[in-house]
This record gives sequence, C-alpha cells and structure tokens, in this order.
Amino acid sequence: MKILFVDDERDVEDLFRQKFRKEIKSGHLELAFAFSGQEALDLLNSEDPPKFVYVFSDINMPGMSGLELLEEIKSRFPAIQVSMISAYGDQENYDKAMSSGAKGFFTKPVDFEKLKLEIAALTSGK
Amino acid sequence: MILINLISLSLLYYLKKSSGAQEFPERLHRYFKYGMIAAGVLIALGISNAPPEILFELLSFVLVGAVIYLMLNTPELVYLKTLAITPLPIVGVKLLEYLVRTISPAIFEIVENYLDAAGVFAFIWAVTMWLNHRKQMKEIEIERIITKEQERQLRQTEEQKSQLELLVAERTSEILSQKEELQHALDHLRATQEQLIQQEKLASLGQLTAGIAHEIKNPLNFVNNFSELSADFLHEISEEMPKIPDSPEKENILDLLENIKSNLAKIRHHGSRADSIVRSMLMHSRGGTGTMDPTDLNALIREYSNLAFHGMRANPNPINVDIQLSLDENLPKIKLNSEDFSRVILNLVKNAFDAMREKLSAKNPEYKAKVEIRTRDLGDKVLIEVEDNGPGVPDQIRDKLLMPFFTTKKGTEGTGLGLSITHDIIKSHEGTLEIKSEEGKFTCFSILLPKSTE
Ligand SMILES: [Mg+2]
Repeated sequence: MKILFVDDERDVEDLFRQKFRKEIKSGHLELAFAFSGQEALDLLNSEDPPKFVYVFSDINMPGMSGLELLEEIKSRFPAIQVSMISAYGDQENYDKAMSSGAKGFFTKPVDFEKLKLEIAALTSGK
Repeated sequence: MILINLISLSLLYYLKKSSGAQEFPERLHRYFKYGMIAAGVLIALGISNAPPEILFELLSFVLVGAVIYLMLNTPELVYLKTLAITPLPIVGVKLLEYLVRTISPAIFEIVENYLDAAGVFAFIWAVTMWLNHRKQMKEIEIERIITKEQERQLRQTEEQKSQLELLVAERTSEILSQKEELQHALDHLRATQEQLIQQEKLASLGQLTAGIAHEIKNPLNFVNNFSELSADFLHEISEEMPKIPDSPEKENILDLLENIKSNLAKIRHHGSRADSIVRSMLMHSRGGTGTMDPTDLNALIREYSNLAFHGMRANPNPINVDIQLSLDENLPKIKLNSEDFSRVILNLVKNAFDAMREKLSAKNPEYKAKVEIRTRDLGDKVLIEVEDNGPGVPDQIRDKLLMPFFTTKKGTEGTGLGLSITHDIIKSHEGTLEIKSEEGKFTCFSILLPKSTE
C-alpha cells in the first residue's frame, strides 16, 4: 500500500521513515515524499492510475498550499484519500479542509499513534 | 444792660443751634440751657428795672464773661474763637461804662461821649468779626463737606476694594479648582496614554508572538519527535543488547547508551517546555473561538479551583493549602466563554499556589497557606476575587505582572504568560483585572465582569 506525504520540510521524510520503520520493513507500507504541492501532483500524474491510496499533506507550504493540493487531488483522483497535517489547528483551516473533501485533520506535533491507527484502518478495510 | 444779656443769649442760642451739626457733650448742653435761662431772667430784671440794679448788671457781665470764657477754653468750641471775641470790645466798653458810672457819675458824664465813640468802634469791630466768623464758618463747612465727600469716596473705594477682593478670591478659587480639574484630566490622560502604549505594545507583541510561535513550532516538533524516536530506538537497542556476548567494549557501549538515554530525556523535557510556551503564546494571540454562554460561575470556580489543587498536589513540590470558597449563592448565570474563563480561574489559583510555595520554602513554621476565592453580585457587575496570603507583590513590579513573559518564578517554572493570558481573557469578556497587594501579607486579584455583554 502506497502512501504519499507532502511537506515543505525535508526532515519529515526521515521522521516518518523512522516512525514507520517496522511497517516499511515488513512490506506493509510503502512511503513516498513530495516537498511541494506541485511535486506531489507530478508524482501522482506519473502513474496512471496512481498506486497511492492515501495522501497526507501539510497546509502551509510555499507555492501551492495544502488546501489547493487537496482540491486538485479530489478533482483529478477522487479515489485517493487525503488528510491534512498542519500546525495551524484553527477552525477556519479545519472547516475549509473538511468542506473540500479531506478525510481527516491532524495537528502538529503529529500524534503518531493516531496516525498509525488511521493507516491501519485503511489496511484492514482493503 | 439788656444788650449784654442779649449778647449772652444770642451766643448761647447760636452755640445750642450749631450743636446740631457737631455733637457736643451733654455737659455743654446743660451749660447752654442754664446760661440761656440766666440771660432771660437778667433781661426780664433789666426791663423791670428791679433793684438792686447794680448787682444784676454785674451778674450780666459775669454771665457774658463766663460764656466767652467757656467758648475760649472748651476744646470742642475752639473753632468758634472768632465768634467768642466778636462781642468782646462791646462788652469791654459796656463794662468800662458801667464801672465808671458806678464809681463816679461825674467822670462818667465827662467821658460819656468817648465811651459812645468807643461803643461805635466796638460795634464796627463786632460786625467785622462777625463777618469774619461767618466766612470762617463757611470755610469750615466747605472743608467739612469736602472731608465728608472724601470720606464717602474713601468708604466707597474701600467697599469697591473689598468687593474686588472678594471677586478676586472667588476667581482665584475658581481658577484653582479648574487647575485641579485640569491636573486631574492631565493625569487621567497620561495614565490612559500609558495604557494605550502598553496595549499597542501588547497588540504588536501578540502578532509577533503568533508569528514567532508558528515559526518555532515546526522545528520544535522535529526536536521533540526525533528525540522521542531516538528514545524508542534506544529501547529497541537495549532489548537487542543481551543477545551480544559480554565484553569490556559492550560494557562501554551500554554506559554510553545510558548517557544518551538521559540526554534524550533532557532534550525531550526542555523541548516540551518550549512547546508549552509556544502553545500558550498561540492561545494568547488567537482570537476567541468559543462561544459566550450563560454559565454558573460558582460551579465553574468550584470545579477549576479543585482541578488546580489536585493538579498541584500531583505535580512535583506539592504544598498544603487551605482553599476557602465564599461564593455568592444568589449569583445569576453570567455570559462567559467557559473554556477561556476556566483558564482564568486555573491560572490565578495556580499563581497563588506558586507564590505561597515560595513563602513556605522560606522556612516560616507558623505560616499556613490559604487561598480565598470570593464571588459577589454588584448589581450590573460581578466581582470575583482570588486572594492568597503569600509573599505579596512589590509595588515596583505590580504593573509589569500582566506583561507577557514577565515572570518572578525561578528557573524552569512558569512561562511568563499565565497572567498575561488571564488578563487578555478577562479583557475579551469586557472585564477588568486589578491587583491589590501588601508585601509579606497578601495578594488579591479582583475581576469585575459586566453581567450582560450584549
Ligand atoms: Mg509547512
């Protein structure tokens, strides 16, 4: 199962790879990382249909924001689930994300237990 | 002899009459009266030619002499001197005539013509003196009128002066009170200006802190996440280690790993400290999200003071505190953002605990820590007071107390934002926060909330 993380902070890759070390090792998860909205869209477009089932995206990024990316993905690949991960856990961002079709909203610092449960639910649902 | 007495009578009559303008003492009036009676009697006797004529004539001279003497020697009558000497020559001639006639009628016949002539001169003299006297009297009268007028003017001037003085005093006091009012207004203005500057600073600081907080939050999250992750890995390593045979190198590695573990714990601890500051800062600057609902303030106070107490007891350095609630049970429900306002109660009670802990650690065996929380219905407002018997707040830092990042707490305790946030929340409820304190005795935080914020 392929999951895409989008964040302008490059260290996110190390953090998530280490956090999901066991799951990656066991082959349950395959992680990919993009460091901007555009990069994420390019990655998704490179495969037809994309193998990604879930995208977790930061909101505050230079260039395309996470919320814009959310709308793009939802219009182009409605089958892909998208959740937001943001330091700005305010009502406005939350409402906008939810009305644009986001599945979940995680605030930074990320609660990895919750994140793992979310991913596990996806795996078992498949 | 009638002439002499007529002179006496007219002199006395004149004196009596002129006493109208100038007040003579009672004694003189009596003299005038008796003198006039005596003159009248003598005139009557003179007309009737009753004997002994010589004696009466003598008495007439005595009387006129006495009247003239009185006029010349009485201080009150000195101004009539001219009048007094007016009849003197006539009296003198008459006296001479009388003496000569009495002593030797023969000589009298010889000198009678001369005496008559002398009488004429005396009469001319008298008329002259009389005119003189009239002139003098007129001058005196004019002088008197002038003096009177001057006095009147002086009185008037004085009256005007005192009126002016009164007016000046009135105006002065008016000006003084106006000055006082102005001073008051100025002081008020200065205080308001200071407040405005403070608020302006706070507002820009709020925006700045929000920005800083967000910028710091991301790297801080990495610090915390990676340290947590590393701790997890260390845990895994320590699970793997027993599988490796013992050796001095392994011993050294285990030692180092132990150090790394404790270092990571420190990184984690300080990271979460920074995180709680950042979170407070964000909460500080965020616009109120919760809604204002009618709230049972007393219940909220009971719940959160209790929470603060148990939180304090569960944390390091618990203290024994007597919490007294004197809540006004008739308090109506107040429109509050209860999520925000509960932080106010928590912060103030926690703040009191921290202050009293300081006093307790100062080794005072008699000291018993006590917090009193009061509510009172003040009509259109509600008063909430949180008072502790801690060390108090020195005057010079009292107004700094509400500034962000100002803290008296040592080392790692406190973010310096608690009271600042508390103040902001109260302000967002359109309330006021006042701090009363006496060093070494107490600190009292008084909150005034309007009952209805429409
Ligand atoms: Mg970002």
